[in-house]
Amino acid sequence: MPAAEFTPVQLQRLREHAGRYSRPSFLIQIALVVCLAAIPLVVPSFRTMDVVAKIMIFAVAVASFDIILGYTGIISFAHGMFFGLGAYSIALVCYHHPAPQYYHLLLAAGLAMVLSTVVAVLVAVFSLRVKAIFFAMMTLAVAEFVHILGYQWSDLTMGEDGVSFKLPGILASTWDGGQFLGTQLNGRLVVYYLILVISVVLFLGVVRFVRSPVGRVLKSVRDNERRSMALGYKVIHYRILSIVFGSVISSLAGALFALWLSYVNPDTVLGTPLMLNMLLMVIIGGLGTVYGGIVGAAFITITETWLPDLLKAGVGLLPPVELLQRLADRWVLFFGLAYVLVVLFFPKGVMGTIRDMVARRAAAREKA
Amino acid sequence: MASQATTATLDATGGRDVREIVFWVCAGGIWLLPLMAIDPTTYLVLTVAGFAMGMLLFLSAAGLTIIFGLMDVLNLAHGAFFAWGAYVGFSILNALSGLGWVESATMGQSIVSVLLAMAVALVVGGGLGLILERVIIKQVYGDHLKQILITMGASMVMAEIIKVLWGPNNEVMLVPLAFQGSYDVADVVINKFRVAAIVAGLLVYGGVMLVMLKTKLGIIIRAGVENREVVQTLGYNINRIFTGVFIAGAALAGMGGAMWGMFREQITPAMGDENLIFALIVVIIGGMGSVTGSFLGACMVGLAFNYVAFLMPKLALGVNILIMAIILLIRPWGLLGREQ
Repeated sequence: MPAAEFTPVQLQRLREHAGRYSRPSFLIQIALVVCLAAIPLVVPSFRTMDVVAKIMIFAVAVASFDIILGYTGIISFAHGMFFGLGAYSIALVCYHHPAPQYYHLLLAAGLAMVLSTVVAVLVAVFSLRVKAIFFAMMTLAVAEFVHILGYQWSDLTMGEDGVSFKLPGILASTWDGGQFLGTQLNGRLVVYYLILVISVVLFLGVVRFVRSPVGRVLKSVRDNERRSMALGYKVIHYRILSIVFGSVISSLAGALFALWLSYVNPDTVLGTPLMLNMLLMVIIGGLGTVYGGIVGAAFITITETWLPDLLKAGVGLLPPVELLQRLADRWVLFFGLAYVLVVLFFPKGVMGTIRDMVARRAAAREKA
Repeated sequence: MASQATTATLDATGGRDVREIVFWVCAGGIWLLPLMAIDPTTYLVLTVAGFAMGMLLFLSAAGLTIIFGLMDVLNLAHGAFFAWGAYVGFSILNALSGLGWVESATMGQSIVSVLLAMAVALVVGGGLGLILERVIIKQVYGDHLKQILITMGASMVMAEIIKVLWGPNNEVMLVPLAFQGSYDVADVVINKFRVAAIVAGLLVYGGVMLVMLKTKLGIIIRAGVENREVVQTLGYNINRIFTGVFIAGAALAGMGGAMWGMFREQITPAMGDENLIFALIVVIIGGMGSVTGSFLGACMVGLAFNYVAFLMPKLALGVNILIMAIILLIRPWGLLGREQ
């Protein structure tokens, strides 16, 4: 077929498509997945496994946040809430059933998806009719309401105590599969690999979504709303679609989180700190890059695990002034400062900056 | 015949006016609905409490709405000014308590110490506003995404600094003696501080409206809300006005925080976030950029919160979100906001 029959966009896509298995980024992805799969076998410490599992879960949640924030340019403060809806779906289904089976988990995942779709559509329809910025305010209020509900509707959610539950079959922490190639097989390990597989699938789903024609329209809506409207796209429909898709993925990530901890409470899965963490991950990783989600999630989760210890050790070296001691307890303060500085001086995030560098180098090479 | 007569009256008085009046009468009538479930005495007590809460919400919502209307900045750090005001007021009252001007004060001393706490909270709020506007927000004018992200971060930092300076626990706020206790008017128990809060709220509303409607500054601000470029073309330094408005809004929020602390007699580092949620609901209900809208919205939110908190404590915040949703459904731009 002569090339003239293709539009420039199609040509670019064909070129990308042809080279997709030989690019360095593809090799990095494969290497990353292999590393993640090998970690429990190589480093048998539970703390490492815990950190890595959380990184995978948050990478998915943050990538889905990036669809809304980076690709559509809408700010949602309810992303943590959708995460929590997913987590609570799994927890409550497993808790309220005397002997949960595997299909209960599927049922709970379905429940999470339906619930988050309904909530996302309602909030979006109400607020987006006026201005995209209203969505930010309404989600803030709704998320706070659900957080309070998590505390106070104690007949359903057990309130502040949270819900701890048992998982079915080989996922249960009590399951013991004996030794295999020198590794102790147990429920934790099975859940780890389950999380690995599901989060890779979800992540690839997000990547596919932003590269689809719909993703392209979303970017155009973000960059120039009026022009997209003039081209005949129903801007509000695309915005709602993006919010719903992102929120559903987030709720599934939340379900994985509940699987991993087999415990949820309102503060860990519904609170403001979770939402702030997600925001921070998106910003540090880079808005509109999707893969930045992995970088951001890894950076924040690792810092969050080790920073409090580091600060305590650091204060130990300084004179014992009470104010310094208190400062060391407030590591969120340093998070907040870092966050403000990143937004001000490093707005493209890690992946955005790397992409810029690569693009600049490619341009220089073409010139030469 | 009857319908013709009605049409004639409608025409005579201008149909739109009648419809407006009917609308507002109905809107007012809704607030009598809780009477079906609450006995009149309790209803009056709750109404006073609701108005007092509404006035205090108005103090922070007023700044938020003008800042949004004029500067097009959504300031999510507004709640932090509020919390700072409360904590500063707390410290002032504690210091005055050492002089015996709080718990065992005379009428005059009580009034002076309350005013002093409010004034210092006002100044501290304004100062924080100045710093935030000059250092951070100035750099992100015109970029909603960055504004929201950065003010959220600033709010987080300010709340954490409160925890460093005053400790992370809830504190009991002292209330000067003359404002403790309550009046008893025909079995209706009216908390003294609530009356003070209502008076202060009305004074601030009156003051803000006076400035907005009768002074040159007010004209410039209102013109700026309508069209920023034209105001600039006429030779006014809009940036200086932005800073001034931001400081005023932050100061009002700080003062509101100090009063809220005395109203609830308890302060927590998280009170800023709570207040921000309420203020956002108020601003959305009232319409972005409208001071009177915020005033009405604040009263609605305060009243609804108190009635529902009495009937179904768990749904108190939910009912405000419901009101917000209904209002957005009927008037997407808020009660008195500009249609876009």
